Amino acid sequence: MFVELAPLAAPAEHVAVDAARPPVARRVLRALPPFLYLAPGLGCLIVWTYRPLVEAVQLSFYQWNLLPTRPKVPVGLDNYQQVVQLPELRHSLWLTVATIVFLLPFSVLLPTIISLLTRRIHGRAGGAYRALVFAPVLVPPVASAAMWMWLLDPRHGLVDRMIGNPVNWLHERGPAQLAIIGITGWHLLGFAVLVVTAGLANINDEYSAAAQLDGATRRQITRWIILPLLSPTLVLLTLMTVLLSGQLTFPLIDALTQGGPDDATTNAYYLLWEYCFKSFNAGLASAAGLAFFLAFGLVALFLVWLFEKLSFHDN
Amino acid sequence: MSRIQVEGLTKRFGEVAAVDRVSLDISHGDFLVLLGPSGCGKSTLLRMIAGLIEPSGGRVLLDGRDVTFAPPRERDMAMVFQSYALYPHLTVERNIGFPLRSRRRPRAEIRQKVREVAALLDLAELLDRRPRELSGGQRQRVAVGRALVRDPGAFLMDEPLSNLDAKLRTATRGQLRALHHTLGSTIVYVTHDQVEAMTMATRVALLNAGRLEQVGTPTDVYDEPASVFVAGFLGSPAMNLLPARIESRAGRVQVLAPGVELSLWTADDQPAREVTLGVRPEHLVLLPPTSASLASSPTSTSPVFRGVVETVENLGGEEVAQCAVGDARLLARGPRPLGLRPGEPVAFGVPADRVHLFDRASGRRLVWQPASGDIPRERDHVHDSAAAVAGS
Repeated sequence: MFVELAPLAAPAEHVAVDAARPPVARRVLRALPPFLYLAPGLGCLIVWTYRPLVEAVQLSFYQWNLLPTRPKVPVGLDNYQQVVQLPELRHSLWLTVATIVFLLPFSVLLPTIISLLTRRIHGRAGGAYRALVFAPVLVPPVASAAMWMWLLDPRHGLVDRMIGNPVNWLHERGPAQLAIIGITGWHLLGFAVLVVTAGLANINDEYSAAAQLDGATRRQITRWIILPLLSPTLVLLTLMTVLLSGQLTFPLIDALTQGGPDDATTNAYYLLWEYCFKSFNAGLASAAGLAFFLAFGLVALFLVWLFEKLSFHDN
Repeated sequence: MSRIQVEGLTKRFGEVAAVDRVSLDISHGDFLVLLGPSGCGKSTLLRMIAGLIEPSGGRVLLDGRDVTFAPPRERDMAMVFQSYALYPHLTVERNIGFPLRSRRRPRAEIRQKVREVAALLDLAELLDRRPRELSGGQRQRVAVGRALVRDPGAFLMDEPLSNLDAKLRTATRGQLRALHHTLGSTIVYVTHDQVEAMTMATRVALLNAGRLEQVGTPTDVYDEPASVFVAGFLGSPAMNLLPARIESRAGRVQVLAPGVELSLWTADDQPAREVTLGVRPEHLVLLPPTSASLASSPTSTSPVFRGVVETVENLGGEEVAQCAVGDARLLARGPRPLGLRPGEPVAFGVPADRVHLFDRASGRRLVWQPASGDIPRERDHVHDSAAAVAGS
């Protein structure tokens, strides 16, 4: 007689006992360390970024001249109305946008070309080239401003002597704007080259090996394989240019032109600073600051979205 | 269709020769497998054939044309990479079509060819996906499709199956073999997996430390390994290799070692020589432990290994017994049950034509050359030569 093989299960009378969960106190204690590690960073972020942001929102509804002894006068939406109406604000905004656009060749285009070219130089020479391009990043902005002030001196400066044409770089509208963009670009270039080089190094060599065997020329490989795979890095650099152009140009403007001549180099960030710490109009500065914050925030969101879309997480 | 000739190809990285004076003649329609352990230079050799690595010396000829320093684009070869190297930002359709696109073929033709290849490889449903949305097996097929699409003279494959699971690997092996059969193209295939080499190759080239050890049909390299390395690399478990001595004694050539006494054939001109004795585990014949006499006829299986069983491994269909013979370990493999128990004395015989001898110092195979009319009985070579014909 056939008898069926019993299935592999615990006998009914043998009830398994679940392991007891550790007490709540111990579980909390176990989960704590990661938050402790994060605490210093989070603390700084709250104290130095989020708290001022909240205070700026509050201030934007008041009129106040920064003197602790003077009261803050609530003015409702008056500050925002001024922001929309003031022509100098609109002018500074356009100047900021123009600065960003003219910085993009230094932060995206040139670094890509330089990295693609120096990639073919192997060994020490390649490293030396990249170090030379990177060096300006290490010069503090104020020190470089002092140096460029000499270089751009009308008539006696090296730049004017080289072009053999006395241009008053820092005291004429067009040349002053060019000078600020050029010096910022010179600063930014080295860092951008480093980022693009790292981006290129991240692209697996097997792709271009495969493309070579697939019969692609060097140009086709660059256009069809390397650049699309590099695009997230380039978007990241664009994002950096948009968000950091203010911080990078500020010390140069302050040291070289003080926003002049005739407000020609007063960009949005310099104007905010002037409103608050030269005209002592904290309310207007806060309102304008928040308007810029929202505008750049939207641009940043769009670029982050683009970055995510272009990234190909390949495993 | 391409004939690939490699002449004295060498690649040095600093002091180390990754590939050392390798010469190969790969004829039309050959399925040549470059086999060897990792780091033996097989991938470097393949990449030199592909044109991705510049050799330090030697030549590569494609249909008689010197292409040693020609860029990959100018060699009519397609390659399947171990990582597949599928372009992550392109869909399957554009990945497969890439070789045609870079050759500036008309769009309609590319579309047509990609459809054909996709149908052949069962990828038609996946054409709009990107590589990251594919499973390992699908990626592997896309990589093959990309190589296939432009009808190249030769295919180069760098461990294309190593990222697949065991079951899929077996299935894909069969598909690749069928593909080779239909296309009739030359394939150079790199692997460290002897099963892939044995099952797919028409010829196998074994590499060790950058040097070519042996080239031959799978049957050749398995049945007549040219060196100790080849003998030890092929087979699972690998060939038993024991230090021994050969000499003529009492008019017969004998192989002697502790626990080993093997009488080969009649000849008295063999000077004493230090050798490595090789016997495959499956060629050992279990004898009743009582059989003590050394049979004198070389045709019969005489008891030549005496030892003690140490462990017995159950492989399901077969068993592998590890035995201590003298100071050495001997593995024997046979259908289950072998009827051996650990601790028991054991005796094995082996047919004389299943015995491999190698020089102890150089590791090269020793081949018997009869001095007079006294020809030892050799194993039947009929199916060996049949395989060789099929392979050439």
